[in-house]
Amino acid sequence: MRALVLFLGLSVLGANAAGADKILRITFQAAETGFDPARVSDYYSASVIEAIFDPLLTYDYLARPAKLVPNTTEALPQVSADGRTYTLRLRKGIRFADDAAFKSGNRELTAQDYAYSIKRFFDPKYRSPYAFIFTGKIVGLDELAAQAKKTGRFDYEAPVAGLQTPDRYTLVIRLREPDFNFPHVLAFPLVGAVAREAIEAYGEETPSHPVGTGAFRLKRYVRSSKIVLERNPDYRSRVWDFDPGDEPRFRAIAERMRGKRLPVIDGVEISIMEEVQSRWLAFQQGATDIEYQLWELAPSYMTDDGQLKPEFVRRGIQIDRSTDPEIIYLFFNMQDEMVGGFTKEKMALRRAIAMAYNVDDQIRIIRKGQAVRAHYPIPAGVAGHDPRYRISIPYDPPAANALLERYGYSKGPDGYRRQPDGRPLAIRYGSTPTERDRQFDELMKRSLEAIGVRLEIQKERFPELIKLQKECRVMVHHSAWIADYPDGDNFMQLLYGPNTHESNNACYQSKEFDRRYESSRRLPDGPERDRLYHEMTRIMELDTAWLLTDTRIRNALQQPRVIGYTKHPVLHAEWMYVDLASP
Amino acid sequence: MIPYTLRRLWQFVPTLAGVVLLVFFLFNWVGGDPAYLLAGKISNPEQIENIRRQLGVDESYPTQLGIFVKQIATADFGASWATNERVSDIFRTRLGPSLTVLVPLLLISTLLGMAAAMLVAYLRGSLTDRAVMIACTVGQSISILVYILIFQYLLAYRLGWFPVQGWGTTFGENLLRYSALAIIVGVAVSLAPDIRLYRTFLLDEIGQDYVRTARAKGMSEGRVMWVHVLRNAAIPIVTNVLLQLPGLLAGAFLIERFFGIPGIGREVILAVERSDFPVIKAVSVYVAIATMVVNLVADLLYRAIDPRVQLK
Repeated sequence: MRALVLFLGLSVLGANAAGADKILRITFQAAETGFDPARVSDYYSASVIEAIFDPLLTYDYLARPAKLVPNTTEALPQVSADGRTYTLRLRKGIRFADDAAFKSGNRELTAQDYAYSIKRFFDPKYRSPYAFIFTGKIVGLDELAAQAKKTGRFDYEAPVAGLQTPDRYTLVIRLREPDFNFPHVLAFPLVGAVAREAIEAYGEETPSHPVGTGAFRLKRYVRSSKIVLERNPDYRSRVWDFDPGDEPRFRAIAERMRGKRLPVIDGVEISIMEEVQSRWLAFQQGATDIEYQLWELAPSYMTDDGQLKPEFVRRGIQIDRSTDPEIIYLFFNMQDEMVGGFTKEKMALRRAIAMAYNVDDQIRIIRKGQAVRAHYPIPAGVAGHDPRYRISIPYDPPAANALLERYGYSKGPDGYRRQPDGRPLAIRYGSTPTERDRQFDELMKRSLEAIGVRLEIQKERFPELIKLQKECRVMVHHSAWIADYPDGDNFMQLLYGPNTHESNNACYQSKEFDRRYESSRRLPDGPERDRLYHEMTRIMELDTAWLLTDTRIRNALQQPRVIGYTKHPVLHAEWMYVDLASP
Repeated sequence: MIPYTLRRLWQFVPTLAGVVLLVFFLFNWVGGDPAYLLAGKISNPEQIENIRRQLGVDESYPTQLGIFVKQIATADFGASWATNERVSDIFRTRLGPSLTVLVPLLLISTLLGMAAAMLVAYLRGSLTDRAVMIACTVGQSISILVYILIFQYLLAYRLGWFPVQGWGTTFGENLLRYSALAIIVGVAVSLAPDIRLYRTFLLDEIGQDYVRTARAKGMSEGRVMWVHVLRNAAIPIVTNVLLQLPGLLAGAFLIERFFGIPGIGREVILAVERSDFPVIKAVSVYVAIATMVVNLVADLLYRAIDPRVQLK
C-alpha cells in the first residue's frame, strides 16, 4: 500500500513537473473519428487535422472578413488570364514531422505531396466525404476517379493533366472552368499535405498516425477520450505578425503577441466531454483553458445584455464573442404533395407557416438569447453577405390566418384547417429524438396552433433523417449550414436545382433562381454578383422555400492565463496563435 | 454434470441464432442507413451507392446475414464503419477502463448490500428496518442522472475531493483517483435495490424451521445469520450478482460519459448514434454469449452451494 501511495505521489509530482510546459487544455463536445484528411468530415477531427497538416494557403488570424494568405507557398497562387490555371510555388525547407515511416529521417515537403493528397480524395477505398470540393474541377481527375470506381483501385501513377509538378516546389493546377472559389479550396484544412510513405506505412491505421508538416504532432491518443498534441520540433520558422487593424480587441492581442515564435505553446490537451455539466464544472475548476460549447448555460455566465457576469470578470475570466459563419433555416420540401409546388395555394400555405413561426421565441427560449436573427442566406463574415438586407417574410400570425382563409384553407369543425379541396391538412415536421429537438417540436406546435394548422411530428434518428432529406421525403424541417469556405457560393448552392439529392434539401427547383446562380458562378465577389444574390434571395422568399431563422453566437470563455485567443470565422485550431501566461 | 453442461452448451446455438436474427432485422429495419452519415455534407446518389457497396449493405439480406454468421464464427467483426478502428481493438482498449470502474463497483455494492440487508432482516419490523426501507424506496426512485449531477457537483466541484472527470495513464491513478467518484455514484445507485432484494431473500430463510432449530440448539445469532441463513439465501444472491456480469461488457455509458472514462459504454452509444453496425453486432453477440455462459455458471454454482439441487 505504501508503495502504491508513493507511486501515486510520484505520478502527481510528475504531472506538476510537466505542468511547467505551456499546455493548452480544451474540450470537444463530441468524439473525433480520426485524423486522416481524406477520410473525415466531422468538425472535431478536422480541427486536429488543421493543427497537424498544412494546406497550401490559410487565413490571416486577425483579418475580418477572413483573408487568404500563403501558408506553405511563397505567395498566393498565380492565376492565368483565363482563370483556369493556378501556379503555386512552395517554400523550400519545410519538413514533415519526424516519424518512423521515413526510412532516412524526416523529409522535405514537395509539390508531389500536394498532388498525391488531392488524388486521395478520389480513391474509392477512402470514400472521402469531402471529395465534392474537387469534383468536376480539375482537368483529368474525374476521369481517373471514374476508372478507379470501375477497377476498385486508384492509379496514383497515372498522369493527371490538371495536376502537374514541373519541379520539386511547383504545383500547377488546371481547372475545367474558372472557379473564383478555388483558392478557398486550397486553404481548406483537409487539403493539408500527407506524406505518401506515412500513408502506405500505416495503411488502415492512418487515422491514428497522422504525419504532417503542421505546428503540432500527435503525442498521445486515446480514441473518443483524449488527444494530446505536442509542438512539432521540426516546424518551420514562423513569427506571430498579424495586422490587428482598428479593432481595439485585436490591437490588444497584437500588442502581447507580436514577435513570438509559432507555435507559442508547447502542446494541446484535448478532452472529449460530451456532457455540458462536466465541461462547465471542469472549466470553473480551472481544469480547462478555453470553453466555447456552453450554449445551454449562457444565462449562468452572461448578463441579458451580452456581458460576462461580474463574478466571472472578478476572477479574470475572459470572453470572446462572435457569430458563427452559419445559417439556420426552416425548409419546405418543394416536391411534397402537401406543401410543395408553385401553385398559389401552396405558396400561400408555405408563406403562412413561415409568417406564423416565431423566430424570436426560438432565439429567446431555445438559444437562450445566444443567437441573432438571420435575414440573408449568406451569414456575416462570408463574402457576399449584406448586413442591410431584411427578410421580406414578417412574423404576423393574423396576416397568416387571413392568407390561409383567402386561399381556401378554411377551418373544420375540429378547429383545424383543411386543404382547399376539403381534404385534411397536416404538416409533418421532421425531428430527432433529442431534448433540443423536443423544444423545436413544441415551438413549431405553438406556431401552427396560432393559425389552426395541425402538426404531426416525424421522429427519426439522425442518419435516417438525413437519408429522407436527400430523397426529398421530409416535409418540413430545420437545417443548419456552416461555411466550408467563406464565400457566398457555399451557401447559395444550397438552393440550386441540380443540387437536389445532394445539398439542396428543400429540393427547390426554380428556373429563375438557377439561371441567376449559374451566372453568379462566373463572377468574382463584387457588386454584380451581389446584385444576383439579392435577386435570388427575393425569388426564394417569394416561393418561400426557406424561412431563415438564426445564426448562433459563439461565446468562448477563457481562463485568465490565456493570451491572444479569438475565434476565427473559418479556422478551427487557433491554438498555434495563442500563448499561456506563466503561473 | 458433464452431460448437463454439454446439453446446455448445445442450447446456446438456437438462442444465439435468435439473437443474431433479432439484431440483424432490427438494424436493417430501424437502424438507419449509415451511408448517408458517412457521405458527409454534400453527396450524390452515386457516392452513396459507392459507400453502400464498400460497407456491403447493398448485398442481399441472406448474404449479409451469412457474413454476420461468419464474423461470429471467426470472432472477427472487421472495422468500425465510422472510425476504421478494428472492432477487436475497440474491445481490447475500452474494456479495461470499464472494468476498472464496474468490477469494484459490483464487489462493493454486493458486499455492502448483503451486510445492510442482513442487518435490517435481523431487525425486521424495527424503526431501523423501516427507516432503511423508506430510504431505499426513495433512493431507488431517483434517476441515476440525478445522482451523477449532484455527486459530481458536490463532491468533485464544491468540495474538490475528486477530479470532475478525466482518465490517466496508470492503473493505480485510474482506479484510485479517476474511478473513485464513479464507483461511489454506482454504489449509491445500486445499493438501494440490492438491500431490498437481499433483505427479501434473507427474510424468506429467517422464517424457516431450520433457523428455529439452530437457535433452539443454542447457536449464537452471528452463526445462525452468517452461516445458516446466508448460505441458504446465497442462491438468489449469486444469481442476481451473476446476472449483472454480462452488463460489464456493455459498460455504464452515463457514468462513463460524465466522468470521461474511455470505456465500452461510451463506445456503444457512439456506435448507435453513428449506425456503426460492426460495433453494435459485436457488442450484442458478446453480451448474449456472456449472458448464456453466466446463466450456465450460475446453475452449476447452485449445485455447489446446495447439494440438494439436481441438474437435469
